[in-house]
Amino acid sequence: MPNDTETTFRPLGAILGWVFPGLGHIAAGNVRRGVYAMTGVLVLFLGGIVVGGVDCVDRTEDRLWFIGQAGCGPIAFAADYANTAFLKSGDAAPMIKMPTPPGAPEIAVSSFKGLAHANEFGTLFVFLAGLLNICVLLDAAVRAPASDGVQSGRRSGEGAPR
Amino acid sequence: MTSLGTMLAWTPFLQPAPGAQHWWWMLVIPMALGVAMAYKAIRVASLADWPKAVAKMTLQIVAAMLGIAVGLYLLVVVLLPMLPAE
Repeated sequence: MPNDTETTFRPLGAILGWVFPGLGHIAAGNVRRGVYAMTGVLVLFLGGIVVGGVDCVDRTEDRLWFIGQAGCGPIAFAADYANTAFLKSGDAAPMIKMPTPPGAPEIAVSSFKGLAHANEFGTLFVFLAGLLNICVLLDAAVRAPASDGVQSGRRSGEGAPR
Repeated sequence: MTSLGTMLAWTPFLQPAPGAQHWWWMLVIPMALGVAMAYKAIRVASLADWPKAVAKMTLQIVAAMLGIAVGLYLLVVVLLPMLPAE
């Protein structure tokens, strides 16, 4: 007979959690927990985009950061697409020519491009959102369905006195 | 400082927030809040404890950041200049 601390890995929960933050919990019947997790991840994700602009999600220029940001799921890819479609194309704002060494190809960047602290914090916020969503989706994969507030739905060690 | 005109001309989500460059250090509060909200959502046993746990963890993160800032300030501004130059 399985004991209370035994966990089963449900890949669908993890996949749904990646598709949209908190969806893995919601689909498994842990609605309130999923909404709370979704709120936390979206506060960081949207907070990052508000602080740094959509430029803080950039798959080509900030590749290492984007690996973590991709943990947010399709919304991170949508932000990267918006960056390319609106900012890098020059649709949203005029492009500015950057000074380059003689003979080097001309480089133009959007006048809406984020710089310094605004860009750093925006990138960091979205990166943290991605990392936390990976924790959330792993939790969705191992948490028992419809177990909010049920003692047997806890994972081993959770809520244990320290 | 951020003028009213700059704020009115701001296009949210496309442009960086106009005040972020000046008040960047205040962003540690929403960052700590977001981290605590997501982390405590999967960590608390009873969801009734979630708001209290989030508030506590947010304060802990901000206090730890302040502690590190004060410690580094003392190290760089007070202790390191006391070392002999040679």
